[in-house]
Amino acid sequence: MFYIQQIQCISPQQTFPQASLDTLLDPVNNKLNVIEPSYDGVPRNALRRMSKSVRIGVGAALPIIKNTGTHIDGIIIGTANGGMEDSIVFLKQVIEFEEGVITPGHFVQSTANATAAQLSLVSANKNYNITHVHRGHAFELALIDAAMQLRENADSNYLVGGVDEISVYNYKLDELDNWYKPAPVTAGNFYTQNTPGSVAGEAAVMLLATNDSANAIAAVIDIVTLHTTDIADVQLALQNILAKHGDTIDIFLSGENGDNRFDTFYTAVENELNNDVTVARFKHICGEYPTATSFALWFACELLSTSHIPAHAVKKQGSSSFKNVLIYNVHKGVQHSFILVRES
Amino acid sequence: METAVLKEQLKKQLIEFLNLTDLKPEDIKDDAPFFGDDGLGLDSIDSLELIVLLHREYGISIKDPKIGRKVLVDINTLAAFIEENRTK
Repeated sequence: MFYIQQIQCISPQQTFPQASLDTLLDPVNNKLNVIEPSYDGVPRNALRRMSKSVRIGVGAALPIIKNTGTHIDGIIIGTANGGMEDSIVFLKQVIEFEEGVITPGHFVQSTANATAAQLSLVSANKNYNITHVHRGHAFELALIDAAMQLRENADSNYLVGGVDEISVYNYKLDELDNWYKPAPVTAGNFYTQNTPGSVAGEAAVMLLATNDSANAIAAVIDIVTLHTTDIADVQLALQNILAKHGDTIDIFLSGENGDNRFDTFYTAVENELNNDVTVARFKHICGEYPTATSFALWFACELLSTSHIPAHAVKKQGSSSFKNVLIYNVHKGVQHSFILVRES
Repeated sequence: METAVLKEQLKKQLIEFLNLTDLKPEDIKDDAPFFGDDGLGLDSIDSLELIVLLHREYGISIKDPKIGRKVLVDINTLAAFIEENRTK
């Protein structure tokens, strides 16, 4: 479908500007918060107003913008929540000041499209600019949008990203809804507690999508999304992917998040694959958040370009081939997605 | 409220409202210009935030842009204006 020429990731681990994932940081209070860089090159006045999701989104995109110059034909971002922390501050002000005089900063930063807008401003880019906000499919739809744009405009390139942040208020709501574990979790026991709930995460991943295969990091071959609670639907979707692209998966990158309510989906997908497929996991690295598949795509690119899987990520060792990576994720038991990534 | 206390309070409010996280109150001189490269380097969005600050914290509404340009200069001019016009 398209090639990835550059990719950057700001995450809770050492991934920016270079990755070093052999040693992991544990969650703190069941949150995996990003390691923020110094943001050299971002105007200080703009930086101090940015919400965290905007900061990490801009921070991850800047190296790509600098490397590409001004020639970017569009900015396509996937984010489920945008600047949620600033949204809450803004809504609190609306109540506290009885819909009277309200400061503009928090409102400007709280809209979902603030990251794409700030990227447009810092790169003086007036081209296609859109943000997809479909919860656990926000990033996948950004990828599909990029693929469709590249089909219509073959010589173009698009900055595509997935961004979400942990907000105090949203964490509390999701915690009350049993999406996070009540007991402390470490990277070591992330998948072994056999209880409901996961660990909150956040990250920003930005990539440059083109039709140019020369020096590409990887190719995104297919993206499939479906809404269902029926395992048979998921199995059928996988069978269709395997039939369409050949049953040649080397690494299955599973979105398992330690929440035992959804293990059945991941197990069902694993069981559909050949025995020699290596099964790896990534949520203990970045935590659970709606656009976590963007981290998975970055991780897939890292695996393909280094031909190395950190030991902590391996669930089942299979063949040692690093050619085709299949990412599967389910968000809150309803939104499923497959992303097939191939070495370039 | 004494002028010195008001100025100290204003500096803290400036840092909070404008998210000047790399500054401490003692870093802001009373006569350091709010706008331009010689002082705090604030911009037009910050002036909106300052107007909201005056309204919320001191009950002052600035409706005439000319007054805003005279008042939103530095800590000295802002404190003097607040002392003359505050309603809370």
